[in-house]
Amino acid sequence: MAQSAPAPAEDDGPARRVRRAGRSGARREDETEELGRRAVELSRFYAGKVETVPKVPVRSLRDFALWYTPGVAEVSRTIRADPDASFGLTGRWNTIAIVTDGSRVLGLGDIGPEAALPVMEGKALLFKWLGGVDAVPLPIRTRSPDEFIATVERIGPAFGGVNLEDIASPKCFGILEELQRRLPIPVWHDDQLGTAAATIAGLLNALTLTHRNVRETRVVLLGAGAANIATARLLLALGQDPRRLTLVDQRGVLHADRPDLDELELHNPWKFRLALQTNGGGRSGDLSAALDGADVLLAASTPDPNTVRAEHVRRMAPDPVVFALANPVPEIWPDAARAAGAAVVATGRSDFPNQVNNSLIFPAVFRGILDARARAIPDEVVLAAARELARHAADRGLSATHLLPTMEEAEVFPHVAAAAADAAVAKGLARQKLTHDEYLERARLRMGRSARLVRALRRSRLTPTMPRAGTVRHGGSE
Amino acid sequence: MPSNDASAAAAAARSEPPSMPIHLRPAQPADIPTLVPLLVRLKRLNEEFDPLLRVRDDAEGQAREVLKASIADPKAVVLAAEGVGADKDKVVGLVLAVIRERPFYAPAVEGVILEIYLLPLYRRRGVGEFLLRETTAALKAKGAGVVIAEFPAQNEIASRFYAKRGFRPIIVRQARSL
Repeated sequence: MAQSAPAPAEDDGPARRVRRAGRSGARREDETEELGRRAVELSRFYAGKVETVPKVPVRSLRDFALWYTPGVAEVSRTIRADPDASFGLTGRWNTIAIVTDGSRVLGLGDIGPEAALPVMEGKALLFKWLGGVDAVPLPIRTRSPDEFIATVERIGPAFGGVNLEDIASPKCFGILEELQRRLPIPVWHDDQLGTAAATIAGLLNALTLTHRNVRETRVVLLGAGAANIATARLLLALGQDPRRLTLVDQRGVLHADRPDLDELELHNPWKFRLALQTNGGGRSGDLSAALDGADVLLAASTPDPNTVRAEHVRRMAPDPVVFALANPVPEIWPDAARAAGAAVVATGRSDFPNQVNNSLIFPAVFRGILDARARAIPDEVVLAAARELARHAADRGLSATHLLPTMEEAEVFPHVAAAAADAAVAKGLARQKLTHDEYLERARLRMGRSARLVRALRRSRLTPTMPRAGTVRHGGSE
Repeated sequence: MPSNDASAAAAAARSEPPSMPIHLRPAQPADIPTLVPLLVRLKRLNEEFDPLLRVRDDAEGQAREVLKASIADPKAVVLAAEGVGADKDKVVGLVLAVIRERPFYAPAVEGVILEIYLLPLYRRRGVGEFLLRETTAALKAKGAGVVIAEFPAQNEIASRFYAKRGFRPIIVRQARSL
């Protein structure tokens, strides 16, 4: 959901909306094409985005008697006696695997493991830059969820956590659940948990702003993919009344009498379960029927500005909350939603106010749970991070255009990290129990270190200067 | 709390626990029009598992005939599950089972559960377990010494459901089209 976006768009009226949408759409296409060309060129020049860098001094070859054999044998013996000692005696505590089967990469679909690699490298770079986390990109060649699970389980001993990335729904649900059950380290699927946690953080503030509470709010979720299924689960964990929740997918309102339910029970039991639990009013039909009198619309569906229309928003309760999170184009343009009465609007884009961005969540959450050396990441930890993020925006004063911190407010992230670590301690899942202030301090140091490292590598020319566009003939950094 | 456990156990021992959202009774010929769609829905679900389970165009008529014959057959068990409260008189589930002779094996009589279908809203509330228990009792009353469940080989939900309740595969049926 992290998106670069064109220059900020001014808030013009609905009459000019169509013209602007058309123009920005075309401009955006040109820009995307140009960025793509440049990315290929730079990928050829740098030949990869992350590399392994030693973190110990090597004064001469003799030092390898410590870092390697014979000295290292004693380190191994210590870990053999206590496998958890691997978190303190190796880099495991700060290393995660970014695993994918390449089955749903960005908007590109099922492109396979090799083609997924540059995306996983980019994610690894984000993890390092924002969270100070050493992330290893690991695309896995299999279509079978069972094989995928078995592979990740077997590589678990090298890692302090696992980030699942770009895996198609619904198989991502079963893979996440099963790996969380099997592995003694946190397993996270960003397309589910990162997006859902950022959504929940924005929603909590939107509810405060419109004088609502979670329990009594009627929420409509448009789209029943990875993000919204996870959002629904987190909402229920927050105390949302399932009967006041309605999911809508391409076939309309999800309800227990729908003829495709038998099929859903087989192929998507997570959605099936929600079909049985939710939609207390027994609504059926399309989005309009679902939105009648609803307080909140959380759309994570089709990137088309006509997916949600003004008349849909007008059917909602007074002062409704509209999150149109599809990327790159929201389900309804924010000014159109506001013109139709929306009190608060959020999108997935950085060029509008209130960007719901999973990058606000995942680097900080991993920073926190790695510093706690956590055994797992239950929903309580995810919600603690979401609440902390929401609190920081609230501390600076909530408004219809200020629901969430922006990515520029980097000082917020260590607090989110510490909140996640605290929650892991509270759940009895921390291998390393520290105080809140200690977690906060560690997170600040670790997160700040990456920027210093990248700067130092650039200044020393170990990272070559970025070549001008059109000048790359061959790799310069191999 | 032990007292709650005890009362829960006592409730489970009764034929229809008060918490059960259905009322189970033998099906009557008058139920046939409401049972037909349930049976067809079940067959349509089976289509998911194998192309050799493709449902015929005349499935509804066939369902009507099968139900009519089974309800009249003393060697069959046909049960209708009705909703309770506001859903009273609404048929929400169906069981169809038959008694068969086993000329070579002991026990000599088997009760075969051919169909169990429950509308989605009534699932995951212990109703399936209750249907199985009641059906098994009815088959036993008709002389069955062994209870067998038939379902598509690829239906993992059914596999898990029966395996959890002590069932194991004993006969395999394999097919190829001609």
